[in-house]
Amino acid sequence: MKKRHQQKLVILSIGLILFLNIPIIFIFNSDASVLGIPVLYAYVFFVWLVSVIITYTVINRYA
Amino acid sequence: MPSYAIILVIIGYLSLLFAVGIWADRKSKSKWVHNPWVYALSLAVYCSAWTYYGSVGIAATSGVSFLTTYLGPVIALPLWIIIMKRVVLISKQYQVSSIADFISLRYGNNRSIGAIVTVICVVAVLPYIALQLKAVSETFDILSDGVKSTSILTDSTFYIAVLLAVFVALFGTQTSDASRRRSGLVFTVAVESVLKLVFFLIIGIYVIFYLFNGTTDIYNQISALDGFEELATFTNIESSINWYFMIALSFFAIFLLPRQFQVSVVENTSTSHLKKASWVFPLYLLLFNVFVIFIAWAGKLLLSSDLNPDYYTLYIPLQQGHQLLGLMVFLGGLSSVISMVVVSALALSTMISNNLIIPYGFIKLLNKSNPEDNAQRIKNVRRVSIFILIIGAYFFYVNFNIELSLFSIGLIAFVIIAQLAPAFFIGLFWNRGSAIAAKMGILAGSIVTFYTLAIPFLNEVFIDGSTFVSEGPAGIALLKPYQLFGIDFMPPVTHAFFWSMVFNLMFYLIFSVVFKGNYRERNYAELVVNASSYGELEENAFVWRGEAYVAEIKKALVRFLGEKRTARALDIFYRKYELNPQEEKADARLVNFSEKLLTGSIGAASAKLMISSVVKEQPVTLPEVLKILEENKETISANKQLQQQSHDLKRLSDRLKDANLALVEKDRQKDEFLDTVAHELKTPTASIRATSEILADDDDMPKELKQKFLNNIVNDADRLAVLITNILDLEKLSSGRDIMDKKQHLLKDTLVKAVDGIYQLALQKGVHIEIETVENVSLIYDEDRILQVFTNLLSNSLKFVPENTGTIKIQTQQYGDEIVMSFEDNGKGIPQEDMQYIFEKFYQSNNQNIKKPIGSGMGLAISRHIMENHNGTLTVDEEFQNGARFIVALKTGGL
Repeated sequence: MKKRHQQKLVILSIGLILFLNIPIIFIFNSDASVLGIPVLYAYVFFVWLVSVIITYTVINRYA
Repeated sequence: MPSYAIILVIIGYLSLLFAVGIWADRKSKSKWVHNPWVYALSLAVYCSAWTYYGSVGIAATSGVSFLTTYLGPVIALPLWIIIMKRVVLISKQYQVSSIADFISLRYGNNRSIGAIVTVICVVAVLPYIALQLKAVSETFDILSDGVKSTSILTDSTFYIAVLLAVFVALFGTQTSDASRRRSGLVFTVAVESVLKLVFFLIIGIYVIFYLFNGTTDIYNQISALDGFEELATFTNIESSINWYFMIALSFFAIFLLPRQFQVSVVENTSTSHLKKASWVFPLYLLLFNVFVIFIAWAGKLLLSSDLNPDYYTLYIPLQQGHQLLGLMVFLGGLSSVISMVVVSALALSTMISNNLIIPYGFIKLLNKSNPEDNAQRIKNVRRVSIFILIIGAYFFYVNFNIELSLFSIGLIAFVIIAQLAPAFFIGLFWNRGSAIAAKMGILAGSIVTFYTLAIPFLNEVFIDGSTFVSEGPAGIALLKPYQLFGIDFMPPVTHAFFWSMVFNLMFYLIFSVVFKGNYRERNYAELVVNASSYGELEENAFVWRGEAYVAEIKKALVRFLGEKRTARALDIFYRKYELNPQEEKADARLVNFSEKLLTGSIGAASAKLMISSVVKEQPVTLPEVLKILEENKETISANKQLQQQSHDLKRLSDRLKDANLALVEKDRQKDEFLDTVAHELKTPTASIRATSEILADDDDMPKELKQKFLNNIVNDADRLAVLITNILDLEKLSSGRDIMDKKQHLLKDTLVKAVDGIYQLALQKGVHIEIETVENVSLIYDEDRILQVFTNLLSNSLKFVPENTGTIKIQTQQYGDEIVMSFEDNGKGIPQEDMQYIFEKFYQSNNQNIKKPIGSGMGLAISRHIMENHNGTLTVDEEFQNGARFIVALKTGGL
């Protein structure tokens, strides 16, 4: 795997740290719900799923 | 459900696992066992009973914080391929068999670091294993609805613990080399990972869609309850600080927990498997977590509040009267317990034997015995450790009967394990990190953890009414273990994690820059930090100076590996480096190789002890280390270059061979040419000679006949003259000796001259000649030569067109700086198979004429040479169907 593509994964990690922590996570700190899932959980699961998809794409395309 | 039925099911389930393990051990090479999915799923040993039961408990009581345990790994997994590839490569190269081995290797095979890491791991993981047994025991009681047993002999958990110990001993200690892969064990872990996930998903779907009408239904009911906000949101900033530290904690745990290191590094069979794991594992965790909140809320809605929320997953189906579903949940929980206990016990027992027992004391005993005994002894040490660990955990659980929830014990284990983080992570990327600093950091961090977590816990258990926690030791408020130095807004675990990391990290960094490690340590640091660039050096990557005798090293090896394996290993080694096996003195590579060989069996620290007892080592300074490494690297790259060069040489010699072949072929062609020339010259000469002889001998010949003979002689002589002119022409043209008389001419004039030259002949044969000149272009050329080309083409056409209906068409067109002329006729054309030969010397079409060739067969060859000397071309149009068409192209620009 090339350095450049490795860096994509490092940036994904940094992104996850930022998006899954305060203060960003406080944006979704509400007791409303999406399809019965509280917004905070829905947001965390969404970010989680996106990270799986990005990792999958980067790994399959470049590794 | 009666207890004996459950016990039967458990025994059945364990036998199934044994069978799967044995099958996988036999098929360790098959694609079912050796594949990236098995690796990715085996990482899910991370999901212990804590995940299976504990998450629901937390979700039901304190909300979102259960997610932090999984978000750390989610953040870590994109980095997996980058960090773990390095760790796996080093571990494979140095036969590392545990995290303790790895960290002690990084700090120069340091014996005491290995021991400290081992102790840390045992202290952290033993209560954690106890916790798993507690989960089994409690769920067993819930399921069987029986009275809790009071004696060990009637407690089913004890027997389950013993069975697990047998399982680990059977699959984990088959060879004394702990760095060998255990396919059977890993495969069962992967199978259990699938089972526990599937069972958990089934119960989730059952709760959401069978007991309730989907997620919205549960949400609507639970949000009507009091205190719901606490479950779905952060209630204050403090809880989000907690969230932040908890994620960091689980981030460390996924790399450092002994069981994780075991499956992700030691049991890794190929670095390519890391790729799949980096997306499969987070996906697995996601699936495991989506239903947690709904099960927790359903439990809150359906069950009475005095039940332990940790076991809602089990209580729900039982309360609904679905016994079988309850049994399934129990088996899922059992799966997560088994895999966790088995892998942890294996990892810890290896650490205990290789980093504690063997290097401290046992090594002397091993040094005196024969190989069979040693291998057996090492295996026995490990087996005993496994039993002591699991049974020890059982007694820990029974005696402390832990009041804390699953979640908090798990977290305490995480905090203790996290003490390895600075030494591990920074050590991977920073070569200054030194052994003394690692030791100091780990010790300082551990003391802080002990003070802020263990002491209050022990205090509560053993001393009634102690004021130690509430008022601090001797009433000093600043030293209150849960509010050290007055920081009072963090929960105990976060607080302990924070302070222990502060001390650990600062000690590690400061000691690293203040005290310099010895040369050996720096050597290893260099190798680990630059693993990718020194990886290919293999044995060459070892910097060592001193004296050692092969015989003594061999003796040390034989003691642990046996005669056969030692001989085989050394044989491979000598062949690989092309060394003389008779050499008495050992070189650095042999020393390094032997140390690696021993590491798998007795651990890094003991291997170092073993080897250094037979060699006399001299220190090397860091610049020297770097210089030697660099030199070795250069030697290897020089070797590669040499290989490349020899490859290039081979290619060159191949090309020369080809050229030689071509030359030989040319030579042959030249011979053929001479033969043909001689033959062509001989025919008219012989004819002239024969005719002249007849004329000389026979005086009475009739006059007409004599005249005819004389005409023949003249014709043949002419033919000879033409031939010789042609040969000379061709020779001059092809060797470039012909001097062209190039001048400005009008192309049209030259063309008209050429046509005039053959006009009489054409008239005789009744051939029609058309000229279509588009423009009157003026070019620079040797008119005589170009005339020769045109005449040749025209007379060729004339030869082949039919009498009376024959047509020859000449067209001229200008394309950019090129004048293109085409000469086409309606003759019989050129046979396809002859197309590529017509420009060769003496070419005469096969079916042209059997009796006597028309012309010398050199016309086209000469014409082409002439055109080439004018920087033009002469080609034949291979597409043209109704006769032959030749294309003459000339450049207008220059020549």
